[in-house]
Amino acid sequence: MVDKDTVKLIKERCAFMRRDIIEMGFIAGGRGAHFGPALSCTEIVASLFFKVMKHNPKNPKWAERDRFIQSKGHGCLAYYSALIESGYIDKDQRKTFKQDGSHLPGHPSRDMEHGIEISSGSLGNGFAIACGMAKAAQIKKEDHTYFCLVGDGECNEGLIWEAAMNASKNKLDNMVAIIDRNGVQLAGKTCDIMDFDLVSAWKAFGWEVTVLKEGNDPAVIVETLELAKQKRNGKPQAIIAETIKGKGISFMEGSLNWHAGVMNEEQYNQAVSELEKA
Amino acid sequence: MNNITSEKLQEWSKAGHRTIMGETLYMLAQERDNVVVSTADLTPTARLTKIRDDFPERFFDVGIAEQNLIDFTAGLSVEGLLPFAVDMAAIVPMRCAEQMRVSMAYMNLNAKVISIEAGVRFGPLGNTHYAMDDIAVVRTMPNFTILCPADPLSVHKAIIAAADHEGPVYIRLTGGPGFPVIYKEDFDFQIGKAIELKEGKDVAFISTGCQLAETVAAAEALEAKGISSRVIDMHTVKPLDKDILDSVFAENKLIITVEEHSSVGGLGSAVAEYKAGFSNTPRQIIASLGDKFQEVGDHKYITTNAGLKAPALAALAEANL
Repeated sequence: MVDKDTVKLIKERCAFMRRDIIEMGFIAGGRGAHFGPALSCTEIVASLFFKVMKHNPKNPKWAERDRFIQSKGHGCLAYYSALIESGYIDKDQRKTFKQDGSHLPGHPSRDMEHGIEISSGSLGNGFAIACGMAKAAQIKKEDHTYFCLVGDGECNEGLIWEAAMNASKNKLDNMVAIIDRNGVQLAGKTCDIMDFDLVSAWKAFGWEVTVLKEGNDPAVIVETLELAKQKRNGKPQAIIAETIKGKGISFMEGSLNWHAGVMNEEQYNQAVSELEKA
Repeated sequence: MNNITSEKLQEWSKAGHRTIMGETLYMLAQERDNVVVSTADLTPTARLTKIRDDFPERFFDVGIAEQNLIDFTAGLSVEGLLPFAVDMAAIVPMRCAEQMRVSMAYMNLNAKVISIEAGVRFGPLGNTHYAMDDIAVVRTMPNFTILCPADPLSVHKAIIAAADHEGPVYIRLTGGPGFPVIYKEDFDFQIGKAIELKEGKDVAFISTGCQLAETVAAAEALEAKGISSRVIDMHTVKPLDKDILDSVFAENKLIITVEEHSSVGGLGSAVAEYKAGFSNTPRQIIASLGDKFQEVGDHKYITTNAGLKAPALAALAEANL
């Protein structure tokens, strides 16, 4: 069981993160932002940064840190907001999101000074790189854990499965893939675009699979991730987290229109108002 | 090089680039704990069996999955190891262009990619197995260094130079069994610094990869006819040695670039792009495989048809001076 204080803390952080996400997305203006895929994984990313992962914002290159790799790089607003709320990135940098000359583009760009481990967003590659990183840790006999956030739509990529089979062959039990199963990808519902059994697929590729029914509930997320982190049973761990696309903003929740979009002032005010009341 | 004897060079010449590469990587793995070698189901073909058997904790076969080969290698590099990915030239830069660009070049990782059997060495296997475009593909990627060594000792030295170089390196290997020896003794192989094998005032041949031997023979034939011929081994296609090109522009009447590659995007293009910035430079001719798929045959058949043998190169110079 996860204690109440931890759950309370993560929920508070999620509230800040969602506010950051909306602020940055609104600042992007006509350049638009991927709101839905950031809001679906907010609790997952917050649980990692504020409880599960061993890391130190004052020393981003600390060798013993656990690693977070956001393979679904388009959901970077969740990542950036966690880095902001952890102290890796100054809060005033929010206004630079997607702006000219920005260090916070629409997909993460490797920046170790600010806690961004790798460049990602070309789907499939982040996960495959993370598996290589996890293998390197094994070679060097280091004990930290690699948490890689993968999109459910991203699992359409062949490269995911090339890397998945290699990870199980190499017994990467220091690797935890979290599949953000929010059910919506760019052009529609994942079940309409490419319907297949994710759970069976990950199992077939040799991963130990846990289905997390409440993928936006910090108590369940923390318990599941900490268990996965402790397992060193020769198998990589896949957590299939059922989440809600656009979670926390009523007009975005489950919507096919907010995978990415441009937010107008009225929508912004409504979103801020909803977050304040939550 | 200290322990590379002339007997070893003869052995390597007989065996071709795969054996030289396999043995050189083995030496590196012995000397450096951080060297890791991966391939995609090519272990015996790429002469990596001994590394696999003696360094099992630092050798990986990812299966027939080349895109993952590149990303896996990138991941090893992110965590500070010195990884080499080895695969077929016909497959790796093209199929994995995006992984090389995004996962290696963009992050400027210290990762190395070695392609075996570049050009048309796989002749009888057909056009699916020819790599006529790999230089073109990799040349578009910022941060990547491209090495095309010309003879047995160059292959050995290029791999060591890549290991010592911080950043992504693509090594394109040509030259099969019967690989002519150009460098009989130790020499200085510096990335980005071409080697002038022969001085000459009329034509300047600028060659990359195993075609250097044909180029040297062409130059010798021309000299016998009183045509002064310069020969340059441009083993680094990126970054080009601009100093030596500047001297060619100033001193020679004709430039012939020589490569076992498409006429599009290879060494010839790289030289022409640089040359375009200057006026009053010599005319340039690109001797290459042209812009076409090849009529299938062995290596000699295809390169002869393409005009890459010494008599054709010499005739090309004579006709254009």
